[in-house]
Amino acid sequence: MSEVIEPGLELVDRQNRFVSEHLRRIFIQIYRIVGNVADAQDLTQEAFIKALQHQEQLKDEQKAAHWLSRIATNTAIDFLRRSGRASFCELDEAPQSQGESPEQLLLRSEQRNYLEDGLRLLSPRERAALLLRDVEGLPAEEVARQLECSMATVRSHIANARKKFRLYMERRKR
Amino acid sequence: MKHPNQATLALHAGGDLNILARWRTGRHLAQCAVCRDELAAFEAVREIAPELREIPEIPWQRLAAEMKANIRLGLEAGECVRPGEKPLRETRWFTGARTAVAFASMVALVVTGLVLERPAPRDAASEGRVAETTAYGIQLSEDGQAMGLLHAGAQEQNVTSTVSARGGVRERYVDPETGYVTINNVDAQ
Repeated sequence: MSEVIEPGLELVDRQNRFVSEHLRRIFIQIYRIVGNVADAQDLTQEAFIKALQHQEQLKDEQKAAHWLSRIATNTAIDFLRRSGRASFCELDEAPQSQGESPEQLLLRSEQRNYLEDGLRLLSPRERAALLLRDVEGLPAEEVARQLECSMATVRSHIANARKKFRLYMERRKR
Repeated sequence: MKHPNQATLALHAGGDLNILARWRTGRHLAQCAVCRDELAAFEAVREIAPELREIPEIPWQRLAAEMKANIRLGLEAGECVRPGEKPLRETRWFTGARTAVAFASMVALVVTGLVLERPAPRDAASEGRVAETTAYGIQLSEDGQAMGLLHAGAQEQNVTSTVSARGGVRERYVDPETGYVTINNVDAQ
C-alpha cells in the first residue's frame, strides 16, 4: 500500500519545496511589474499553478527556475494588458518595518513612490524588460527568452524604457 | 560629426550593444562631450534602477502561507477537473496482464500469418490420382485403373507436352495430314 502512496507524497513534497524556494523571488518579480500586493499575490499563485501543472518540466532545477520566471513575467504582462493598469497604491498601506526612524521611513517611502511613478510611464513590456535587465541583472538574451521575443525587440524595449525613465527623472528634478 | 542616437546611448550605458556598435560608439564618446553627458544621464537611470528591488514592508510570512495554501488548493482543484489523467511518470506500461494479452495477440497473429501464407498443397499424387503422358496420349490413373485421352495417328515429333504446377498435363499435337492443331488439358483432381 505504501508503494502506491509514496510517489504521490514525493510529488507533493517536491512541489512544496519548489514553491518555498521560488515564492519570494517570483512574488517580487510580479509585484514590480503589476505594482500592487493583492494583484501580485493572485498572479504569483496563478504562475505557480500553471508551472506545477506541467511538473515534467521540473526535472532540471536550473531550467525550472528560468521557466517559472518566464511564466511569471508573461502572467503579469498579460494581466496588465487585460486590465490596462499598474497601481502602486498599496505601498503606503503596508505595515512599517521596525528599527528605522520615521524620517528614514518617510525618505524610503518617497523614494519608492518616485521610482514607481517612473515605472508607471512604461508599457508592460518595457517595464518587464527594464526590471529584468537593470534590476534583476539578467543578460539581454535571457530577457528575450523570458519575454519570448527577439533580441532586437528586447533591445528596443530596454532602450525605450531607459529613455522614458531618464526623461522622467529630468522632469522631476526641475 | 554624426552623433549616435538616444537609443544607442541608452543601450551603451548598459553594455547592451553588439561588439561593433559598442566599439563605434565608444570611439565617438571619446571625442564628444555632449554624448558623454547624455550617456551619464542614462547611467544614472541604471544606477537608480536597483532601488526598485526594494519591496513594500509586507507581512511576508502570512502572505507566503496564504499563497502556498492557495497554490495547493488550485493544484488539487485542477486534479479534480481531470480525474482520468495520470502523470506519465506514474504510468506503468508493462503490467503482468497487459504483457500476457500482448504476447497472446502476437502469437495468434504469427500463427494466422503462417496458415494463410502456406495453404496445404493440393497434391494429386497424395490422393492416388496421377496424370501422365504416354506415347498414345494423356493417361489418368487411380488405384490401378486408368483412363486415356488418345490422339491416334499423331507422330511423337508432332506432340508437345507440358506439366502444370497443379499436377495436370497439357499436350499439343498437329495432325500431319490436315494440319489441324489439337490441345488437350487434363487436370488430376
